[in-house]
Amino acid sequence: MWRLAFRNLFQNKVRLIISVGGVALALLLSLSLDAILEGIQRQVTTYIDQSGADIFVAQAGVRNMHMASSWLPASMVGKVRGVPGVESVTPILYVTNVIEASDNAPYMALNLAYIIGLPPNATAGGPPRIAEGVSIPAKGEAIIDRAVAAKSGVVLGDKIKILGEELTLAGLSESMTTFTGSIAFISKKDFDRIRGETGAVSFILVKVELGESPAEVARRIENQVDKVTAEPRTGFAAQERKVVQDMSTDIVTIMNLIGFVIGLAVMALTVYTATLARRKEYGVLKALGARSAHLYRAVLAQALISVGVGFALSLLITLILSASVPYLGVSLSLQINGASLIRVGGLSIVIAGLSAMLPIKQIAGLDPALVFRGK
Amino acid sequence: MTNATFQVSQVTKRYGVGSTEVTAVRNVSLSVAPGEVVLIMGPSGSGKTTLLLMLGALLKPTTGSIQLNGTVLSALAENRLPDIRLREFGFIFQDFNLLSALTVLENVAIVAELAGLKSRAARQKAAAILTDLGLGERLNFLPEKLSGGEKQRVAIARALVNDPALILADEPTANLDSKIGHEVMRLLRRIAKEQQRSVVIVSHDQRIKDIADRVLWLEDGQFKEVTTMAIDPVCGMSVEQEKAISTEWDGRTFYFCAKGCRDEFMTKPQR
Ligand SMILES: Nc1ncnc2c1ncn2[C@@H]1O[C@H](COP(=O)(O)OP(=O)(O)O)[C@@H](O)[C@H]1O
Ligand SMILES: [Mg+2]
Repeated sequence: MWRLAFRNLFQNKVRLIISVGGVALALLLSLSLDAILEGIQRQVTTYIDQSGADIFVAQAGVRNMHMASSWLPASMVGKVRGVPGVESVTPILYVTNVIEASDNAPYMALNLAYIIGLPPNATAGGPPRIAEGVSIPAKGEAIIDRAVAAKSGVVLGDKIKILGEELTLAGLSESMTTFTGSIAFISKKDFDRIRGETGAVSFILVKVELGESPAEVARRIENQVDKVTAEPRTGFAAQERKVVQDMSTDIVTIMNLIGFVIGLAVMALTVYTATLARRKEYGVLKALGARSAHLYRAVLAQALISVGVGFALSLLITLILSASVPYLGVSLSLQINGASLIRVGGLSIVIAGLSAMLPIKQIAGLDPALVFRGK
Repeated sequence: MTNATFQVSQVTKRYGVGSTEVTAVRNVSLSVAPGEVVLIMGPSGSGKTTLLLMLGALLKPTTGSIQLNGTVLSALAENRLPDIRLREFGFIFQDFNLLSALTVLENVAIVAELAGLKSRAARQKAAAILTDLGLGERLNFLPEKLSGGEKQRVAIARALVNDPALILADEPTANLDSKIGHEVMRLLRRIAKEQQRSVVIVSHDQRIKDIADRVLWLEDGQFKEVTTMAIDPVCGMSVEQEKAISTEWDGRTFYFCAKGCRDEFMTKPQR
């Protein structure tokens, strides 16, 4: 029956293109959105992943950076430093702001960025790779991402504005852009001054001593220092991803639903009309001794093949998109993950199964005797 | 080889009820021996198709019974009938009814697969039968590329592929020109004889009378007069016994198409 399904499908190319194309586009909706969100989730932790810190210490209850703010009194830094197992601490200041490249038209040069205030003796939390210039900004200096500098047309020595303050571009970092923007580094002193000399810090980045477990040291920090939350880097990154996930769950659900409904509508219609068009041939098979179950199988196989090809096509388009997005100058990364493939694949099978149910009654009701009357 | 005896007893079919009731077939009895070719003729509306549908287990008789090898088909449960049709009957239709998307080979093989053969075996069997029917060069053609005669030969191959006891054909020559139609029917006859399969053909085509062993005349759902056919031992033609020239020899009756054949026969009757 698979062969019959194949042959039937490929005999009517227009119908095949409509059904496969329709399903592919519908599934593409789900698949590419999944890939975009997966990409965002990976990008969103770029800074955390590459910070070099083993533990992030924040204001009690704060477990991530995006859309969060954490303020710790400066006195905490010393307390954390005193916890056994802690090798070094780097207090940083953090806020989301924009980089203004003052040479350019302002609307061109608005770049959203995480602004990190870095102390001169930072052992973690700085730019992991420097393309040009300094790796820790001194007073009056800033380090921004190379791609952002190129886009804004600024080079080392140029003036840029961060937090409304004019600074000299002293360093360019490699690949520190994320979906939300890029990461810029200024000196902790400048940051503190701009914020009004509060003396507070946002996070304390901890490196643990060789052989110590970050989880164990984090637990110790929470026990010995009041009103802080200490998360090992991996846990902190996972929380960050979860924030994005939580924000996007509803969107994903709605898009999947839309994709499902469109895919189902296209398939149901094409499977139904395809069966209708072959009424007589199914009648002939019945007359020859095929059971209705055989014919359902052919119809189901037809639906499965169309949906399968549609799924493969949507996957291919997503792969092409993900490969070509970096060349489009979009700071978006599409990442296909296994869970998404399984979910959209499952969706496809449900679509095929449901669409093949529609013609069941039609086939069951076929009277093979009519074949002998030219019907 | 099969030893089926097909027995139809007192079969009646009524369509509808009350004032719209039509008796399409009434009290028809018939038995067909293995290898026998029976032609049922009759005007349009005489009940030929109805009778054929009942013979082929596609329509339940209102009364009467149909037996194949001692199994009463007319008493079987509905869900047993597809298998009977698949394995015991071969069907040949007026408008060929090949599956348009399948190749010649696949059209035949699919029916063997339905009967449980594996794809490879089904294709091998189909190819052998098609080649025997002169379609060896056409195996991978789509039906639309075939002539009418070729299509009907594919249909014959399809009817044969599951080694049926009985082949049922409804107006098999109606869509063929007379020469081709006759050729195809001669082919069907040859197979029936070689493989000892029974054939029932329903037709109003007078020109194929000579390929039948027996011609029955259906009118108003009933058989009128039975014509028994015989083969001229000299020229091989099929002749109606009632109208043919005959002669007795060695306790048997022989029938001839013309005096010439009888005269030739008499010169060497022991052949
Ligand atoms: N499904 C049906 N319902 C009612 N009457 C039918 C049906 N099928 C056939 N008939 C009637 O039965 C008679 C025999 O029809 P049919 O078997 O098709 O004859 P033939 O094949 O010799 O032309 C006709 O009068 C026809 O109108
Ligand atoms: Mg008819």
